[in-house]
Amino acid sequence: MVHAPIGFKIRTRRKELGFTQAALAKQAGISASYLNLIEADKRSVGGGLLQTIAGLLDVESDTLTGRAERRLIDSLREVAAEPILQHLRLDPDAAIDLVGRHPEWARALLALHRAFRDSVHTTAALSDRLNRDPFLGETVHKILTHITAIRSASEILDEGDTLAPEQQQRFHGIISGESGKLSETAQALAAYFDRANTETRALTPTDEVDDFLIESGNHFPRLEDAADRLRRQLDKYGGLNPQSCADYLKAEHGVTTRSVLPAQAELARYRNQSWFDAESRTLSFLENISMSTRRFQIVRLAASFALEEAIGAETETAQLVSSEAQLLARRALSSYCASAVIFPYDTFLETAVALRYDTDILRQRFDASFEQVCHRLATLRRPGGEGLPFAFMRADPAGYITKRYPLPQLALPAHGHGCPLWAIYQSFQTPNRIIRQLAEFPDGSRYILIARAETKRPGAFHEPPVQRSVMLAFDALHADSTVYGDGLDVRAATLATPVGPACRLCVRTRCQHRSDEPIVESLGKR
Amino acid sequence: MIAVARGPAWEKGGERGVADVSARILIAEDEPHIVESLSFILTQAGCTVSVVYDGAAAIEAMQARPLPDVLILDVMLPKRNGFEVLKWVKSEPGLKDVPVMVLTAKGQQQDRETAEGLGVDAFITKPFANRDIVACVKRLADA
Repeated sequence: MVHAPIGFKIRTRRKELGFTQAALAKQAGISASYLNLIEADKRSVGGGLLQTIAGLLDVESDTLTGRAERRLIDSLREVAAEPILQHLRLDPDAAIDLVGRHPEWARALLALHRAFRDSVHTTAALSDRLNRDPFLGETVHKILTHITAIRSASEILDEGDTLAPEQQQRFHGIISGESGKLSETAQALAAYFDRANTETRALTPTDEVDDFLIESGNHFPRLEDAADRLRRQLDKYGGLNPQSCADYLKAEHGVTTRSVLPAQAELARYRNQSWFDAESRTLSFLENISMSTRRFQIVRLAASFALEEAIGAETETAQLVSSEAQLLARRALSSYCASAVIFPYDTFLETAVALRYDTDILRQRFDASFEQVCHRLATLRRPGGEGLPFAFMRADPAGYITKRYPLPQLALPAHGHGCPLWAIYQSFQTPNRIIRQLAEFPDGSRYILIARAETKRPGAFHEPPVQRSVMLAFDALHADSTVYGDGLDVRAATLATPVGPACRLCVRTRCQHRSDEPIVESLGKR
Repeated sequence: MIAVARGPAWEKGGERGVADVSARILIAEDEPHIVESLSFILTQAGCTVSVVYDGAAAIEAMQARPLPDVLILDVMLPKRNGFEVLKWVKSEPGLKDVPVMVLTAKGQQQDRETAEGLGVDAFITKPFANRDIVACVKRLADA
């Protein structure tokens, strides 16, 4: 609760009018010491007394209570929480002093902050628009189609010296008609860019790493080979059970593992369910994480040590601008290696195909979580030995996308939320159960979405559980290669849920689930 | 909709076929001007040509006899897209040996990978050169 600087205002106004504290206190019917406490903001003041003091000071009581200032203080506290200002360690309570002493400076700061947030939002929106706007995709397709018709007809005229006059006229007509359509399409494109006023994308380190993984097709052949070598090392210590992996970590890298009760842990360090203290070389887990997560984190740390060179070789070629992005990329690739160790490529692919990608059975076979299985399925992209192409997405219960690997044809938003109709959001209503959905996107493409919400970390009495939902999406074309196509008529018109990529990127203007206005437009097809 | 209901009643090519490709070609393409040019150059080359304008019509036409010697298939077709038609053709025992040439105008690398995964015989990107189409049809028909 914000405490408005009423006392400061009373004191300032009293001095402006030349009253002493004692004189004002006497007229208000209170002691001078009590007024002193009020002016020091150590006693609250309201009701009749506030009205009396306001009257004596010849101001409105609202001016003293400072409702507007209260909002200003709240807003300044949000400014203090801005990630890019974290290193300044701003004291949120200092906002009260700033508003009390220099309200215009406070308003100026807030105006700048709002302009900054608007710019960030606009940049993200324009970035999405350039990369995923269906208008651009359709326009490129139209341009190529018109050019194809023009080129083909031109070649016929060019080479057809024996063409009958009516044939010549016909192909001239095609060229003329298609040229007109091409001009219209080009004008629409020019108008689009006039409106878009595109700017260079401002990349955050997370965006940089996202782009790097996506551009790599989320598959790293050299790391697959490196992971095979690490798995052979782990085999010498008894395989992939958590204790054997911990024995390897201790023997080969001098790292001790231990469990910590959530109530005794500094939870800020445990966002990834574990914390490695490089100084004491200790890997600590929260007591209540699953064994599959524990094993994954041990193998991930092992990979970061044992495969440091191979991981570094990948990140060096990635052209990551910031050092933070380099660090994030190394972490992401350590996780990739852990996944490749736990799910050997050929064995996992062979098993997945044989089981028709039944993730529940795969989880049991490989003693892993749904997220780990899904993540690995999305990386089976070895040229010549690919699995089914899967898009991967993870969201928190607030709907925010926390991880994503799109497919070339299936864009997933980089910022904020996806379409509220996606199975990933429905799954939170029935945790620990797979939801299947046949989804139709605005371009008519159909995908099967499977999602499962699960507890990433069980709660304790003082700590709510951490929940996430993970979704895989694949082209309905591949339905019969998976158990998720069983009993599903992927062509049935009424079965598919009409969805979009995200509200602001979606052209379904009549959708009743829309929560944001679209920034994209269709070519009038839908 | 089968816009050209000629179906199996194939239109015979002219006598002045420049490449002498006497093959039956089924074209599944929804852009009428591209269809017109394709039909013209293939007919000139000696082919007999039949045309459908959407994916569902392509599947229907492939169930009639005689079968085409080559199926030319656009990816972005209404009703059933080209990949769905390709998958169906290559999964039907009586049809899987019919050579299929896929035409695409965007997402070329990904489309190529998808088409190859479904067993396509040839892949041509738009805008194409007429002579490449004729040469490709000849190669597929002779194979």
